[in-house]
Amino acid sequence: MSVASRLPTIRLPTETDDWRLMARTARLVLSVPAYAVLAVVASLTALTLFVVSLNVPLVLDLVVGGSLSLAGRVTILTELYPFVGSSFGAGQGLLLLLVAALTGLNVSMAIYHFREHGVSLQQGGTSALGVLFGTLGAGCAACGSAVLLGLLSLVGVSTSLLFLPLDGLEFALLALVVITLSIYWLADGMRGGMIGGCPVDL
Amino acid sequence: MNRRTFLRSAGATGLSAGLVATAGCLGGALGGESTPSGTPFADHPATAGIEDQPRKGELGGNVVLAFEDPSCPRCRTFERQTVPDIEENLVATGQGAYVVRTYPVVYPWGEPAVHALEATYDRDSDAFWSLFAHYFDEQSSFETDNVLDRTAEFLNGETDVDGDAVVADAESGAYDAAVQTDLDAGMNADVGRTTPTVLLFRDGRYVTRASGSVSYDVIGTALGVE
Repeated sequence: MSVASRLPTIRLPTETDDWRLMARTARLVLSVPAYAVLAVVASLTALTLFVVSLNVPLVLDLVVGGSLSLAGRVTILTELYPFVGSSFGAGQGLLLLLVAALTGLNVSMAIYHFREHGVSLQQGGTSALGVLFGTLGAGCAACGSAVLLGLLSLVGVSTSLLFLPLDGLEFALLALVVITLSIYWLADGMRGGMIGGCPVDL
Repeated sequence: MNRRTFLRSAGATGLSAGLVATAGCLGGALGGESTPSGTPFADHPATAGIEDQPRKGELGGNVVLAFEDPSCPRCRTFERQTVPDIEENLVATGQGAYVVRTYPVVYPWGEPAVHALEATYDRDSDAFWSLFAHYFDEQSSFETDNVLDRTAEFLNGETDVDGDAVVADAESGAYDAAVQTDLDAGMNADVGRTTPTVLLFRDGRYVTRASGSVSYDVIGTALGVE
């Protein structure tokens, strides 16, 4: 057996049926009220994590600590979110909301999968990989080019050699791709884990 | 791997990923020990040499100290959306000052631009603010190869400053020390590579810092100025 034939095949959502599978699986999971609530909570949590991660000192000093009134604390916190404050442009804000929504859906689908079907090593590894990259990418969706440059400089990429045509939106788009892949792999795994009893009626 | 083991490992993986992502995105925010809240203005590392920095309003009370890179898109948004409100509500009312430290950490053309800004400020503060605004107004058209030529053209055409002399100083490194002073202040204050980063001082004492093009509501609320 050749090395290539022993490597696991990475499936990508290239067909219309793949996207239909994702949509139907997502609809199946979200049709259960508990998982719909979980998706919403996870989305809001993810969005909060993204925006707060940019301004931890501000939140600790003035929202958690300090002597501001409750209204002042609420103002400081809410102004950090897209379309409330001015921290994000329209494109960045929309992408950030989309990444947060898909993260919530991803979390909800993963927990549904784990609870209802169990997972195989391969499926679990793939899902964990999706969560890993998704979290990394999504966590940086809000940061803009400065932090992207900083991150890349950590791995030895000279900032003077970088050219970012989208001014840092690259990370948000990368997060979208990775989370979408994770959702697809989860949906595909849910079908595979229920052979003869697939939860999705295709 | 059984289900329980997997869930534990997945949880650990997710937590690790979250920490990595968060730590990465914090940039300078968690780059070192944070400065204790309430540090007197003069003792804060970000204020080293502050008297020589471009400023609107008088020091001594509330201060908005902004680290900005002319090549940074979010700095452009900050300048357009937030700074006018700072000038109107804080500076014009005599309730505080707005101070800029030019901080070239984003795109490469920001570095020669910052040298030119320092050379310009040394000659004429009004010309500095004009050039600073010009960089943001035309941000997308600047590159490393054209920034100094266009700077000379702007200064010669729109201000009383000799643009060719400014460019000569920028190219010779005459203001290396001034540029380095701002970089050192930012690094010592854990600003890292995130711009804009705004440090807020209320009545002469450090309050907090904010990264990104935060709104005036954040700044005004933090300083207790409507």
